[in-house]
Parts: sequence; C-alpha cells; structure tokens
Amino acid sequence: MERWAANWARRRQGDDSHNVALARRRIYILPTRFGVVFGIMVFAMLLGSINYGASIGFALTFLLAGLGLVVMHHCHNNLLGAEIRFLGAAPVFAGERAEFRVAVHNAGIAARYEIELAQRGHRAGPVDVAPNGTEILRLGIDTERRGWTKLERFAVETRHPGRLLRAWTWIHMDARCLVYPRPAAPGRPLPQSGGYGAVGRTSAGDEDFAGLRAAAPGDPPQRIAWKAYARNDVLLLKQFAAGDRAPCVLEWNILAELDPEARVSQLARWCIDADAEGRALGLVLPGVRIPLGTGAKHLASCLEALALLDVDMDARGRATQSAVADADTDVRVRATHGAVAGAPR
Amino acid sequence: MTALALPRARDLSEDAQRLLWTGAIVVGASLPHWLALAGWTLALLGAAVTWRLAVALYGWPMAPRFVRLPLAFISLCGVIFQFRTLNGSEAGTALLVVMVALKFLESSNQRDQLVLILISYFMMFASVLTERGPLTATYLVVLVWVTTVALLQLGRRGPLLPIRATAVLAGRLLLYSVPLMIVLFVLFPRLPGPLWALPGSTSSGASGLSDTMSPGDITNLGLSDEVAFRAEFLSRAPPAGALYWRGPTLTHFDGRTWSMQQGARRGERVADSIEYRGEPTRYRVMLEPNGRSWAFALDMPESWSRDRGLRMGSDYQLGTFFGAKRTRVLDYEVTSYIDYSAREPLTPGEIAAFTSLPEGSSPRARALAATWITDGPSASTVIDRAMGYLRSQPFQYTLTPPALGEQPVDQFLFETREGFCEHYASALTVLLRAAGLPARVVMGYQGGELNSLGSYYIIRESDAHAWTEVWLEDQGWVRVDGVAAVAPERVAIGSGRWSGAARTAVDRVLNLGWLRRAALAWDAVNTRWHAWVVGYGPELQRALLDSFGVRNLKFTERWTLLLSLAVIGTVGVLVGLRLYAGWRDRRRRPIDPAARAFATFTRALVRLNVAPRAPGESPVAYAARAAKASPPAAADIGAIVAAYLRARYEPDPELTALAELRQRVNVFRPQRA
Repeated sequence: MERWAANWARRRQGDDSHNVALARRRIYILPTRFGVVFGIMVFAMLLGSINYGASIGFALTFLLAGLGLVVMHHCHNNLLGAEIRFLGAAPVFAGERAEFRVAVHNAGIAARYEIELAQRGHRAGPVDVAPNGTEILRLGIDTERRGWTKLERFAVETRHPGRLLRAWTWIHMDARCLVYPRPAAPGRPLPQSGGYGAVGRTSAGDEDFAGLRAAAPGDPPQRIAWKAYARNDVLLLKQFAAGDRAPCVLEWNILAELDPEARVSQLARWCIDADAEGRALGLVLPGVRIPLGTGAKHLASCLEALALLDVDMDARGRATQSAVADADTDVRVRATHGAVAGAPR
Repeated sequence: MTALALPRARDLSEDAQRLLWTGAIVVGASLPHWLALAGWTLALLGAAVTWRLAVALYGWPMAPRFVRLPLAFISLCGVIFQFRTLNGSEAGTALLVVMVALKFLESSNQRDQLVLILISYFMMFASVLTERGPLTATYLVVLVWVTTVALLQLGRRGPLLPIRATAVLAGRLLLYSVPLMIVLFVLFPRLPGPLWALPGSTSSGASGLSDTMSPGDITNLGLSDEVAFRAEFLSRAPPAGALYWRGPTLTHFDGRTWSMQQGARRGERVADSIEYRGEPTRYRVMLEPNGRSWAFALDMPESWSRDRGLRMGSDYQLGTFFGAKRTRVLDYEVTSYIDYSAREPLTPGEIAAFTSLPEGSSPRARALAATWITDGPSASTVIDRAMGYLRSQPFQYTLTPPALGEQPVDQFLFETREGFCEHYASALTVLLRAAGLPARVVMGYQGGELNSLGSYYIIRESDAHAWTEVWLEDQGWVRVDGVAAVAPERVAIGSGRWSGAARTAVDRVLNLGWLRRAALAWDAVNTRWHAWVVGYGPELQRALLDSFGVRNLKFTERWTLLLSLAVIGTVGVLVGLRLYAGWRDRRRRPIDPAARAFATFTRALVRLNVAPRAPGESPVAYAARAAKASPPAAADIGAIVAAYLRARYEPDPELTALAELRQRVNVFRPQRA
C-alpha cells in the first residue's frame, strides 16, 4: 500500500532536482495514530454532549474539533515552501553508514518546527528551522555493497504541532553516495612486484626517513610527524627518500585466485596500506588505469575506480587479453619513469 | 536523603520538565471535580502525582508493578463499591481520575504523556456536564490553552521550546479554532432528548417548594436567597402585585396538612374553558433545577413552548409530569394573561371534594363561617366577609410564628393570629370551605426582584407564597390572597424587600449598596450566560431559523438543513483561514536563498540607475551592464555574480558559496561613478 502510494506520488511528481521548494500539491497529510485517538475522543465528547444536552460540552467539543482542523492547516503549512537541497554525501566504505547531508532552508518569516527526514527505517532530525535559516540534516543509510548507494526516495516530514498529524512529501532526487569496497582484512603484504616482473627497487628498507617539511592540506595524515607536533606544536610531514619506497602498481590480474569481489576488497586494502606507507600507487583494472600518484585525492580516485569497477568487464575483457596487456605495459613503463625521475632528488 | 528543596526550573532535566507539564495538566484538569470526588480518589491522585514527580526530581524508585497492579484493582473496586455502577457522569469521572492517577504513576515516555493530555481534555469535558457557570467556563478556557501548550511541548521530539513562544502558538491555534467552534455551536443540529437513558445524579439535592403544606409546624421560615427561577419579560412586565407565579395546587386537607390530591389530573380539557382578556404577557423562564417535574408560570398561562414537554394539568399548573426529576436548567417561553376567567364547570362530586373538611377539625372556624351564610349571601359577599375578618382582627404577618397545637387553624384564627402566607392561605381556604364554597390552596411564588442590569426578574425561594383559590359559579376559579388583607405591602413589593425582623444580618449587609449591586451584576452575567450559551438548544436553534424566515420545517428537514449549514460553514471558515494564511504567505514566498540575496543586490544597483534585470537577461550580461554603469564597483559586482552562479548552479555542499554571496551582498555599498 505504502509502496503503491509512493509509486503513484513519483509518477505524479516526477523527479526532483537537487534543490526543491515544496509546493502545495506535493505535500500529503494524514492523521497519526495519536491523531486518530484524538478524533475518537472528540467524537465521544460529541455523543456525550448530545446525550446530556450540555451546551458547554458542545462548545468544548467543537473547540477541540476546530483545533484539530487548524492543526492540520498548520502542519501542512509547516512544510509548505520549505526548500530541500541535497548537499552531498562523503564516500564511505561498504558496511559503514553513508551520511546524506540534506539542507532544509526556510525562506519564510515564520519558524518551521520539527522537520524530519525519513527513509524506510532511517530517520534524521527533527530540527527547527528559524526564519531565513538553514539546518543541515544527516540521513544515515547503512551500506552493503560498493558502488553508488542511491537515496531513491526519502520523505521530508513533520508532526508539528502536537503530533496529531503527519505531513510529508516524497523527494526523488539523484542523491547518491559513493561506497568504496569493503577493504579486506589487513595482513596480506603488499605485492613487491608487478605481475610482469619487478617494478623499481625491491629494497626491504621500510623506514628510510629523509627529513621533515611543513605539512600542507591534502597530505596523508599517516605521515604527519605527531611526535614532532607534540613537541613543537607545528604540523610537519615526514618525508622519505624517494625511491626508498617502491612505487606500487596494483594489477587486477595478480589476484587471479580470488573471486572478483574479494579481489576488489584486497585491492582496496592494498591501496590503503600503500597510501599509509607513503608509496606511490597505481592501479590497473579492466578498462581503467590509474597512473602512479600519492596523496589523499589520489587514494580517493583509486578507491572510486575500485568502487565503480564493473567486474563483468573482466570477463568481457578476456577476449581482448592482449589489449589489456598492452595497456598494463604502458602503465608499467610510466611507473618506471616516475620512479627514475624521482631518484636523483 | 537530602532536603526536599525544589530544584530550579532551568536545572531540571528535559524529562523532568515534561513530567512536570503532564502533572500540572492532570491536576489542573481534575480541579473542577475535586468537590464532587471522594476523599480516597483525591488522595490516590495526590499520592500518584507526588510519587512520580519524586522519581523524576529526587531519584525515588519507580512504583513497582506489584504495587501498581493491586492498586489498580483496588481502585476499580473502590469506584464500583462507591457508585454501584460505572455508568453515569459521577462514576465515570471518578474512574477517569483513578485512571489518570495510575497512568501518571507509571508514565515513562512521550506516548504515556500524550495519552494523559488526551484524558485531561476529557476530564474537562466531564466537568462541563455538571458545572456550567461562566466561572467554570472561564477556567476551562485557560485550562484548554495551557493543556494545548503542554500538547505542543510534549509532542515534540526535539528539545522543549521556550514557554512564551509555545504559549503564543497555542493561543493562535485556539484563536483560529474559535470561528469553527462558533459555527458548529450555532449550526450543529441539536437533539431535544438524550440518546440513551441517563442515570440519575445521586447528590443533586432538591430545594424549593414542597408538595405539602403544614402551617404551624414551621416556627422560623428561613428566607433562602437561593434562586428558584428567573423570568425575562419579552412584553411589558405586569405590576409587582400581579406577579403570581403559579405552582402546585393543594386540595386535600387532613386538619393539619394540605397535600395534592393524587390521581386528580384530567388532562388538558380545563384549558379550553379559560377566557383570556386584555394584553398578553410574554416572558421567558429559566427554571433552576428543583428536582421536581413541575414548572412555574404567571397566572394564567395561555400558551408555552411545546417542545419542552410542558403540559398543563387540571389545576392549571405547568409541568413535564412525565420523565425524571429535572437536574438542569429548564428554559421555556410562556404567554400569560393577567386578566382571565377560569370558568371551569365543576361536577357535584368535585364541588363536594373542594368543600370537604375532615370530621371534627377546626370547629370554631366552622362556627364562624356558619355565621356568615345565615342570610344567604352571594359568594362574593362571603369572600368579602372572610377578608374583612382577617383585616379587622389584629392579625400579624410574621416569619417567626409560634408553633400551633391540635387544631392549628382554630388556634391561628382565634388565639395566636401570627403567621405567614401558609397560615393565611390555609385558614382562608378552611373558612371558605366551611362556608360551602369550593376552595383550594395554590402554592407558588409572588413577586420577584427586578435585576435592572439584566432587565429580568429573579425569583428566589424567599418569594415563595401560598394563596387561596375559590370557585364561583359565574366566574370560575378566583384568586383570594389572605396576606393581601393583612400585609398588603408584602404582596405589592414582594417579600424580598419586605424587610421583616427575620432577615438575617448577612442579608441586610447584602442589601447594602455596592455589594448588592455587584451581586446583581454577577447574576445578570450568569443569566445571560445561561440564557444564550447554556440554554442554547433545539428551541433557540429553531427560533434562529425562524428569524431567517425558515418556518414550518419538519424535524428531519430542519435537521438536514442545519447539518448542511454546519458543514458549509465549517468549509467556509477553513477556506477563510486558508486565504488568510495565503495572504500572510505572500510575505514569505519561498524562493531560492541565492536568488533572494541576488535580488537584494539588484535592488542596491537600481540606486545607481542600473535598470533591473530584464527577463531572459543572464546574470553575467546583467553584471557586465552594471559594471559599465559603475566602474569602481566592477570588481565587487563581478565577485557577487560569480558567487551567485556558484551558489545557485554548482554543487555547494557546505553552503560556502551562498554564505559568501550573502556576505558580499551585505557589504556591497556601490558609489555613484
């Protein structure tokens, strides 16, 4: 029933942009269970008034009945004209909770009270939005699978005043959150060589510390010199001798023994590990190549590529194995260049 | 344990505040019932509220289930034991209060509290079934307001709002509901009778006239100021001396006590034999509950409200005669004629009944009457002689007569000669019967106090009166008032201001100046309230339709018409509210916040003679035009437009572009080039 109504509403309203002002025709209102009980009570009062011929009873009954109707009006108005804007959702790893940030803006002169977001079992709010104010609600949705988690439909609703009625609207906007693959359990060491032979040096020296430089936004937090920070109150970044850390090119094919999703998980884990160790990272996936690079943004684009990887591409890609191999070689060559270029510094 | 000092309100936790709200509402809603409730019920309520609040404020343990369950059972048994029923408003109210107490004791969450709010509304409703005065109504208005504030507060999932804001909101909600209430109150079709039989109220005491009269038993007639009824004259009011409000008629005398003759009713045949003369007197009576089925009307009623179930008995008395004792105000209109002849033919049997005196009673009175008829005089001569006797002998009108012995009539007529209306009515009736004239005693009220503030008469128990009616062959029943012969001023101005020695000191204080006037003013408010609000029912509703020229409708037609009008009126009011809200909304039309800020910016530019943005002109083109008009501001204009484009058309997750736009627009102070 609920689903049928929701589908009907979707056909009726169409899809929404990222910024919606709630119009009259898309706000629905129904009594809550408490509201139904309130109605029954007023009806009982009406019967009692008739039976006892009690005029004041009639007056009280009709006052409360009128209150119910006025509350309905207020409840509806509480949503009417509110502006809903999807602000985005920071990427999360599968299994974590995605937070969809939705701004509720009140362009009106009256405050809006108790605005909530609801999506199946998930709720956010309630918040009160001051006149000409904006509140940001975070709707947490549990994620299971990598890729895009879409907020197909969510409700903006209110039970103000007095929880007698629930006014709501369904919003169908293209609100999506990127879900990275769930990283495999740590422990499997980073591959020391690419699938087609060693890349760069294979030195085992892990901590060839080269010095410190001032930290800048975008630097990986794993490489902040926290001990130095505790001493001097200055954020410094640990630098390692270039070339000491072998650049790491992760290839789809080196984990051929795993099923595709496990491969994706393991690659995600390695991406994180490589970034934590400060190694330059490259990714070779069916249909996607990510050149070597470092930093949070680079890690994010690697994880994004993994998140959005279409594993069926692999099956389709076997037919053109050589093409993929060529592509891999190309990456490897560039990776080698990167390592060599960095060495003299 | 620490001292039970009350924590300050702002130190209270959110939960404790919510609980305090609930407790206050519950106690406030039960307040109108306190006088009617049994002590144990109140004690239960008090204990439950105290305990639960102590849990919230001082960390007492919650009442465990093994306390609550037996308590609920015992309380239910208590109510049943006390009232022998769970039906009816009194038992129902007690049950409500018990329920509220137990529910409050175990209340732990928002749902419980909201349920308690609903029950509180219902308790208020229960209180108007019995208490209908304007004071109670005023209290209820305040209480409904406070309860609605609590409903708004407790209905929130978020933190409680400031009380003032919530009070304003609740007030506005209720204010908007008032037009709906008025429309429904006036137009919702009222039914004349109950839907199901009402169990009688057990405690409503009956005061007022009794249906028997024993002069000589009462030695101190307390003049109660209690109101018997009020009468508002719709035509010119007759003089005070003609205000005989007719009540029950006593025909049977056993030598000491006059009583009504059982089974003497003969339907309404008698009314046809009455001849009315002169001007009609129209008036409306608001009769206080007296626990009787009878009603009062001026001698002699001609027509009256039919739908009140009123009928006229053989003795010209109005009454409902069927049905239960009245426990609420009865409101009816009557047309009477002061000048009339009740030429009812009496059968010989009836003449015998109306002249009979018990064997051996009042021998001296009989002997006296016998001396008046020796010369075979006309009936009116006999009456004159009887009145002359009362007038010539030293009779005194007093409210504190001595007690009378074996032969009360003889003793009064020949020995004590002190008495009030009952003594005179009784003695005169005995004398006339002894003289062979059919006579009877009529009880009722005489006079009344004019409340000039409300232009109606208040008839109090102290205006109670008794007089004699005698039947003459050519004139029918004629009123003869013995008191008029002895204390004419009592009849002319009424006993209320007939200041005998019996008026108590308090009464005399009440007679003084402003206090009395204030009392009268209050009575006027009260009466208007009862007349137009409490008394609003099927009859006034029909009068309303009549005044709009809709007459002669059948019951179902009227019902349908009213119901449709009520629905139309409700929809009309709702549409009106919607229009009003729309009018208010025009001031808060929703637009994109960025567009709003940009609009402010364009208004600022108008001052530089930059024409407003044309429809279809892009912001960039507009900016270029504005920059040309005001070169010094070009950089600012460019930055604002850039921020606007970002805020409006690009993802702006943290609303930084919007904030920048607003900030830039706010500080934008263009100088004329």
